[in-house]
Amino acid sequence: MALLEIADLTFELAGRTILDGITLSIERGERVAILGANGSGKTTLAQWLAGWLPNVDHAASRGKLTFDGREWKDWPLPQRAAAVQLVGQLPVQQLSGREFTVRDEVAFGPGNLGLPVSEVSATTGEVLELCELTHLAGRDPFTLSGGEQQRTVIASALAMKPRLLILDEPVTNLDPSASEHIVRLVSELPPDITVVWLDTSPKIAIEFARRFLLLRNGKCVVDGSPCQVLLHPESLATITLPPSAQAARLAAKAGIWPDGLPYPLTLQEARVRFEQVKHDQS
Amino acid sequence: MIKAENLAFCYSPAASVLANVSFHIEAGTIAAIAGRNGAGKSTLLRLCNALLKPTSGCLRVNGIDTRETSAAKLARIVATVFQTPELQLFASRVVDEISFGPKQLRYSRLQMEQAVAAAMERTGLSSQAESHPLDLTHAARRFVTLASALAMKPRLLLLDEPQQGLDAAAIQRLEDILRAEKAAGVTILFTCHDMDFIARNADHLLVFGGGALLRSGAVSDVFSDTALIQLAGLKLPDSMLLAQMLQLPPARSCEQLIEFWLKAKLLRS
Repeated sequence: MALLEIADLTFELAGRTILDGITLSIERGERVAILGANGSGKTTLAQWLAGWLPNVDHAASRGKLTFDGREWKDWPLPQRAAAVQLVGQLPVQQLSGREFTVRDEVAFGPGNLGLPVSEVSATTGEVLELCELTHLAGRDPFTLSGGEQQRTVIASALAMKPRLLILDEPVTNLDPSASEHIVRLVSELPPDITVVWLDTSPKIAIEFARRFLLLRNGKCVVDGSPCQVLLHPESLATITLPPSAQAARLAAKAGIWPDGLPYPLTLQEARVRFEQVKHDQS
Repeated sequence: MIKAENLAFCYSPAASVLANVSFHIEAGTIAAIAGRNGAGKSTLLRLCNALLKPTSGCLRVNGIDTRETSAAKLARIVATVFQTPELQLFASRVVDEISFGPKQLRYSRLQMEQAVAAAMERTGLSSQAESHPLDLTHAARRFVTLASALAMKPRLLLLDEPQQGLDAAAIQRLEDILRAEKAAGVTILFTCHDMDFIARNADHLLVFGGGALLRSGAVSDVFSDTALIQLAGLKLPDSMLLAQMLQLPPARSCEQLIEFWLKAKLLRS
């Protein structure tokens, strides 16, 4: 049984269909990137994956989602919080608002699970270190910059040691070195942790995700390997390709990219293929 | 349009954010601010719109010393789009949100309606005039804040991470707006973490690190200083890295890269 099973999930809000018949399964330890344009349903899907939906006011109009074989509504809240964590786009909306230091903010979640103080303190220290926040541990989270707040929210999620980590456009606030650091951090997570990354562009996720999905108007329209999904006509019409693939595509249009040579998706691939093209042309 | 002389700012005496910052940005320029999280980028924008006043030194906007004016007075020529639209929006209809600035500037009803309609048209919000801004997608909310700034017809437009969270079509729309504003003589200063976006759109780049201005200059000059880029925790734009791989001059965009590639190929043959 897959970790997450979604069958024909359809969800409407204010008369609009946000998710439209989504069927997919995600296995334990998978690293999945879900791409889509603004308004394609990514954040709503992330909230379903994380069990924030359904809630008292919002139910699915069709279909269901199960985690470990059980629908989220059947999970007690502490168990759910320990199983799945969602890091959203706006860090300031995720800070608890009741802790006065970064250290206490990160300890808030595990502390609420009733774990021994020594364990909470050790986990907090480890996660602060991992997210390069130790030097900010005594600061008030609300006085941090946008990127530092984002790292605090990611650290708070990791401190819960979730089995499923969902990251909804998590690096938009981060400077290039901080965003590389998050990518490294996600790539080096224990292999049994499942990661779902939602974004408008594949530029970051291409570094670690082995499976991509494309959402369009609430439907999952393509699902497969990075190559299958990113170079699919549906994707080319919707998302920004990584610059190396963009350049190769423009080169093909200008007649200087060999027929049949796949577009490079990463800079490493670009290095090899551009070298090959240059060599063939000289 | 913007002139900083030995500008310094601290939120508390123990925590200096910016020190000894001097630079000059000509009118009609698109300038970007880059640096690590916490380098003082957003603080600099708040100094430019007089929401913050220098602790020492001087910052002049269009010749006006920001210490001797107020944010409200400066709003006649400076409009700001903050990093998080949700913290900026307050009206219950898109059209009211965008009308707020022109109203404060005492536009006539006709002038206001025209400015608001034009701003909504340019930002793709015309069909959503009656919507509640918080019912819109994150990207559309961002465009509501941009439209609110455009409707005030500023001479200086300050944008904090304007491309953040936007998809390909929305980024294209934003870039078209930036180019049109520049063509109309508006000066634009924006913070950004996306080096390719900076390379495509900015003329001038200010790099901050450790509370100081590390470099101020033309975008291609700044990106050619690889030691500085590393020191400031930045990266070269991918288009420039790809150009290096092909031994081509630094390309500001993928389109320019192909242009250089075709030229080099033509020269060889």
